[in-house]
Amino acid sequence: MTDVLYVEDDPNDADIFSRLMRKLDRSISFTIIDNGFEALDYLTSQGKYLDQTRPMPKLVLMDLNMEGISGFEVIQQARQTESARFLPIVAFSTSDSPTDVRAAYEAGINAYIVKPGGYQATASLLSRLYDFWLDNNLCLDSR
Amino acid sequence: MNTRQVDLISCEREPIHILGHVQSHGYLIAIQPGSYTIVHASENIADLTGVEASQLLGKPIQIVLEQTNAGTDSLVELLNVGSRHNTWDTMNPYRQIIGNRTWNLIIHQHNGLILLEWEPSGDQTDELTNQQLVAQALTEVQSSRTLTDLLQNTAQRVKTIIGFDRVMVYRFGADWHGKVIAEALEPHLEPFLGLHYPASDIPKQARELYKVNLVRLIADAESQPSPIVSLPDWPADKPLDLTHSVLRAVSPVHIEYLHNMGVQASMSISLLYRGELWGLISCHHYSPRFVSFPARQTAKFVSQLLSAALEFRKDEEDQTFRLQSLQNGQALHEQLLEDGDVVRALLKHPTTALDVTKAGGVAVLFNGQFHQLGQTPDESATRALTEWLRSTNAETFFQTDRLPSLYSAATSFRDVGAGLLAIALSPDLDEYVLWFKPEQVQEVTWAGNPEKAVTVTDDGQHRLSPRKSFAAWTETVRNTSTPWSEAEVSTVVKLREDILQVVTRQANEIRLLNQRLQAAYEELDAFSYTVSHDLRTPLSSIRCYSEILVEEYGADFNEDAQLLFKKIIDSTDRMRSLIRHILYYSRMGRTELNQQAVDIQTMLEGIREEFLVAEKGRQLTIDIKDTPALSGDPVMIGQLFTNLIGNAVKYTRLNPTAHIEVKGYQANGEIVYSIVDNGIGFDMKHSGKIFDLFKRLENARQFEGSGVGMAIVKRIVNRHEGKIWFHSEPGRGTSFFVAFADPTAQ
Repeated sequence: MTDVLYVEDDPNDADIFSRLMRKLDRSISFTIIDNGFEALDYLTSQGKYLDQTRPMPKLVLMDLNMEGISGFEVIQQARQTESARFLPIVAFSTSDSPTDVRAAYEAGINAYIVKPGGYQATASLLSRLYDFWLDNNLCLDSR
Repeated sequence: MNTRQVDLISCEREPIHILGHVQSHGYLIAIQPGSYTIVHASENIADLTGVEASQLLGKPIQIVLEQTNAGTDSLVELLNVGSRHNTWDTMNPYRQIIGNRTWNLIIHQHNGLILLEWEPSGDQTDELTNQQLVAQALTEVQSSRTLTDLLQNTAQRVKTIIGFDRVMVYRFGADWHGKVIAEALEPHLEPFLGLHYPASDIPKQARELYKVNLVRLIADAESQPSPIVSLPDWPADKPLDLTHSVLRAVSPVHIEYLHNMGVQASMSISLLYRGELWGLISCHHYSPRFVSFPARQTAKFVSQLLSAALEFRKDEEDQTFRLQSLQNGQALHEQLLEDGDVVRALLKHPTTALDVTKAGGVAVLFNGQFHQLGQTPDESATRALTEWLRSTNAETFFQTDRLPSLYSAATSFRDVGAGLLAIALSPDLDEYVLWFKPEQVQEVTWAGNPEKAVTVTDDGQHRLSPRKSFAAWTETVRNTSTPWSEAEVSTVVKLREDILQVVTRQANEIRLLNQRLQAAYEELDAFSYTVSHDLRTPLSSIRCYSEILVEEYGADFNEDAQLLFKKIIDSTDRMRSLIRHILYYSRMGRTELNQQAVDIQTMLEGIREEFLVAEKGRQLTIDIKDTPALSGDPVMIGQLFTNLIGNAVKYTRLNPTAHIEVKGYQANGEIVYSIVDNGIGFDMKHSGKIFDLFKRLENARQFEGSGVGMAIVKRIVNRHEGKIWFHSEPGRGTSFFVAFADPTAQ
């Protein structure tokens, strides 16, 4: 059982995220997947995630610009499966290009966050994100 | 309308075929075919027969020669043969010796009567010479290289046959005015070659007679014509029809004309082209001169030969011009293909657009520029003309030989442009090629001075003075050019296609360039994206790890190490902001303009809110006054005001009470917005650099910034086809002004 799924192909960003999770010191479980293919398998219960029975995470943080299959495609395809149809997915990207923002919304995200680019700033952002998405937001549990 | 007009009409109506007189050098009798009863006789017949004309009327033909030594029986026999075969041509002329002179009797039948005309036989010795001349003329027709050569040689030949002082070949124009195009004359005479004569000199009914009677002699213009007397009970409304008479007297008007020219004998030979009168061989002699019937027949034969030749030669001549036009058109096409520059290809090479027509000048309106060769109206007149052309909906081409009557403003330049042939390249862009022909009167050298018209009053009777008719002719050809030939029009229409082909090809090249530019932009787009993403990601790592180091190991650092880490972190901030601005700058240049009405009031209030929150703790007021409507790309307009107000916020930071005022107003079809602050200002002498990328002003150093903000502003203004300007003084604040097209103005 994981609360947050973070899809991120940059190892540094993933590392910093892990450090921040420790620093935040909240009882939030998380999984990091470092590529789009695997993320899609995870969200649609395919490939190595086939037959695994587990609830969906409460929040997905999705990097958009990834090698191989981009976050946009992962979101778009995931939204077509029943289990991920209403899953809270937040785009978490370096890009603030209006085109990217629009494309992400069209793919089916719930929110768009530009990476703040600093440690402290990210810490406070994540803290606020969790407050909202994990504590305040009411999910539809598809299982 | 005026007397001249009336005179002209009277001339046109003169019934010259039934004037009731014969020339006095010959005698006429008209008899009824069956009975040979004399019904008309010329009064002078007594000179030949010794019997008064009135004594002959109503009597049989036998009586005519009864008192002479000529045989009466032979005349009757002759008439019997002619009547039987119903032809007279083969027996003309019938030589008769009457008294001690030899006469030529010429008989013809017309309009129910047989006409017998006796005229002097003339000199017999010439006949052999004439035959030789005919043979030569035949050779001539076969060998002459050009029509001009042929006509010139024919004039000379006719002069040799009839021995007149002057022989002219006179050619009719489409409006029936004539021009002397070939001439043979005695050396002491003034040449008339190239002179023009008004159409009224040879009125319509005269032209009709020229088509029937191919040869016409006036042996002595000054002699007194002899009247024709008729049977007492002959109906008055049926005068003798002299259409085919060889002795027909001359109209008084024509006599007057000849008199004015000093001509005493005249002969004309018709030249027909496809059944129409094409011209005349007009012969003048300055003393009375009789030309015998055989000589006239020879001249007539030469003219018929020439008429036949005309049928081919004229076509050939047209063909030559058509070919010439075609070749020049091809040369222009090649120039167009090689040069690519339409104007240069049409006007600056050895073959020009002037060579495809017989125009006097050509004007080219292309790419907003006016160019011309030869005689054309000036630029403003030409532009006004094309304005009018557009209103006529002439999509491809337009031609007229009487422009002033269609477009009255052309009257002012009719001396160069009474005729217009124009092709439209692009009416929308006012691109035309226009050929101009001058008013015809400008080209004409008059035979006689039209200013010296003499009014002749003859027994109180107003008649047309031939000289006076020049003025009338001038009236009719005023505002008219020579017509555009089919060859001219077709060459020009083809040229239009050639030009458009080149223009289209160039447009395609530009489109191709545009596509490449588009591709380059897309590449730049990708690059900007890479910069914004791929550079920002490692930058974020540097920043984050620095922060982690400070946070987790900061306690172990000495003060200097702490400071160094702070510098690293600050630098990443600056770099991050720089990258973001570069991205904005590039984005403002290429993204499509999403033009729409902008809710400027709400937008400004939003921007103010952001700054007031960010600058909390400062004494800062941002006043928003009038906000007239703007139309533009909301994202870009937002960026523009954010940057301008942001600058004002920044550069007022040193002022304890900062005040910024934003307001808009309408002025001359524009919306102008001003952003006024009371900040540090700057020296206007550095103002040239203010919109340059990465350029920062000297006194701005103490403020953070990338030097991209104003470059973005400038780019946004340019994209909206607006204007931006400013006023500033060091220490006295800065005012920026941006102007956009007023969306409410037309």
